[in-house]
Amino acid sequence: MSALKRVQQWATFARIWHLYDAAWQNPFDSAQVIKKHLMGLHKPIYHTMSQCGDVVVVINSADIALPGDEWKKRVYFHHTGYPGGASWTLAWELHEKDPTMVLKKAVYNSMDGNIQRRYTMQRLLIFPDSNVPKDILENISNQLRPLRKVPKRLDHYPEKEVKEFPKIIDYPKDYIVK
Amino acid sequence: MVFTSVVNFVRSRGPDEFWRKRKVFRLAAAFQGRKRNCYSIAIRYVHRALVYATKGRKLKKIDMKNLFETRVQAACEQHNVGYATFREGLVRSDIMLNRKTLADLACWEPYTFKALTDIAQRKAVDDGLLDLKNADSLDSTITRGIITDSVKPK
Amino acid sequence: MSLCRPTFSLLRKCIGQNLYNLRLSDSRSIKRWVSPTLRELKRRRDRIGPEPERPRSSFLEWNYEAEVYAFGKRLGEEFDKNLLKRALIQREYANKQEFAAREKGLPTPEMLHNYELIQEGSKIISKVIIDEYEKLYPQDIVKAVHEYLTTEDMLSHVGKHIGLKDLVLTNEFPVVNETLSNTFKAVVAALKQSQNLERAELFVKDFLLSQMNGKDVYEIWDPKNPYEYLMKLLNDKGISEVEPRLCNQSAVNTILANYQIGLYSNKKLLGIGWGENVEVAKETAAIDAIQRLFRNYVPKQ
Repeated sequence: MSALKRVQQWATFARIWHLYDAAWQNPFDSAQVIKKHLMGLHKPIYHTMSQCGDVVVVINSADIALPGDEWKKRVYFHHTGYPGGASWTLAWELHEKDPTMVLKKAVYNSMDGNIQRRYTMQRLLIFPDSNVPKDILENISNQLRPLRKVPKRLDHYPEKEVKEFPKIIDYPKDYIVK
Repeated sequence: MVFTSVVNFVRSRGPDEFWRKRKVFRLAAAFQGRKRNCYSIAIRYVHRALVYATKGRKLKKIDMKNLFETRVQAACEQHNVGYATFREGLVRSDIMLNRKTLADLACWEPYTFKALTDIAQRKAVDDGLLDLKNADSLDSTITRGIITDSVKPK
Repeated sequence: MSLCRPTFSLLRKCIGQNLYNLRLSDSRSIKRWVSPTLRELKRRRDRIGPEPERPRSSFLEWNYEAEVYAFGKRLGEEFDKNLLKRALIQREYANKQEFAAREKGLPTPEMLHNYELIQEGSKIISKVIIDEYEKLYPQDIVKAVHEYLTTEDMLSHVGKHIGLKDLVLTNEFPVVNETLSNTFKAVVAALKQSQNLERAELFVKDFLLSQMNGKDVYEIWDPKNPYEYLMKLLNDKGISEVEPRLCNQSAVNTILANYQIGLYSNKKLLGIGWGENVEVAKETAAIDAIQRLFRNYVPKQ
């Protein structure tokens, strides 16, 4: 194999590190994108038996947005294995305990349950905020496009802009704003 | 069973026992433990393996189809074309390539594949399947005349 | 038919003995002696060990004249019979034959050998390779390809597979690679003398140059310091400023680090390369640049 062919192979199977900002993203939709990059499904050289998957670094997992009333209605089941060891945790409870867990489980459950799944999960790094260690940050060379735009809250607008925004009605004088 | 000839009254069990068993042992050669050495155990697993092999012949075709589709889909994504649009565009341009060929092209001949996506996209835009904002960029590589065979007089 | 045979024999028996002694259990089709016999034969074979390798010429039905005749026909070439025979005789073999005859007191036969033919054939082979490759590649590559094709291993490989191994007359057995490669050269020269130079050159093209089929020239020719080599090439072209730039990098803190480096000159890309570190990437970029330069190589007239 010539030197050029060797590095061509090296570059073809290079492991790219992607960054994904999970703020205000639906974790279950995001899981599909993250899974695709973790397994290498976005490469034309994909094969189940070859290790062609990339690494995905997810930041701001504490700020994920679940659709509808999923925070209250989604339940995570766990069983210790002992009699009476079953427990049911609501999504918001789980999120309070570990802000990375909901996203991690979403990605884990989006993949088929085979031997490869655990190893694929090892290539997923989730951080609850944007404090990523420097050595990990240096590896990253690509950012995944967020699935939807991050909405801007009213209190994030400057006060002046809010005041100058054209109003349709004026509140009555005796109306109490909460 | 009714035997018309006398000789078939003998219960014939084929050729020599050694050779009969050898046929089974050869199929069991890659098994582990007593499955490959003891005939009565080997025969059970050989039967099971043969059943798997029969089923596997169909499964293999399905697996390969899935693999080809995944690869082509991945390559289509790189050029911002949907898989369905891509296949439909190719068919309408009379480019009859199967999944295997497309996957091979996607893997080994990325520039050829890019040309195919351009053709498919152009055709899809022309036939109104696709609404592209920057469809004009496709004109640089492919003209309408190449794809549509109708020649309009000036 | 084998199934019918016992039936017939039984019928004959039945008719002959008037159906009195009908024996049903005696079936002659099961041959229980086969496997023990084969096992025993295998055991004896194993005990003796593998058969020693013998030259084909020691076999009973060996006919040297016929084989030499068939050799040319097989390759589709018209050889002069005496020339071909001479090309197959090694000098050592000829000398030994002569000594043996002298010791016995027999009149010494005039044994011809292939020594001169080897020199001539070697020249023809070199000329064909260099002429062919000079049309496509610069001097350095031609030299490397020439060296690759004229190695003893390569020539003996070709010689062995056109059937020289059994025909060659030599003292040693098994035939060594040197003898085979020399004989191949001699055969080329013999062909030239039998027919003409053009025919011999075609022969070399068909059998030796075809060995390059499917092989990359740049795998055979590998400059040791590609970057320096490239700089030398560019200097000849009048380009002295080359800027290596880091185009891409990924996973730099891991063992799977990958860098992509492009070599630019006056904002034009010369070559691009990858590697596990910056130095390797730079070197491979230089190799790519060299290949791009040579891709549209025009030979000097």
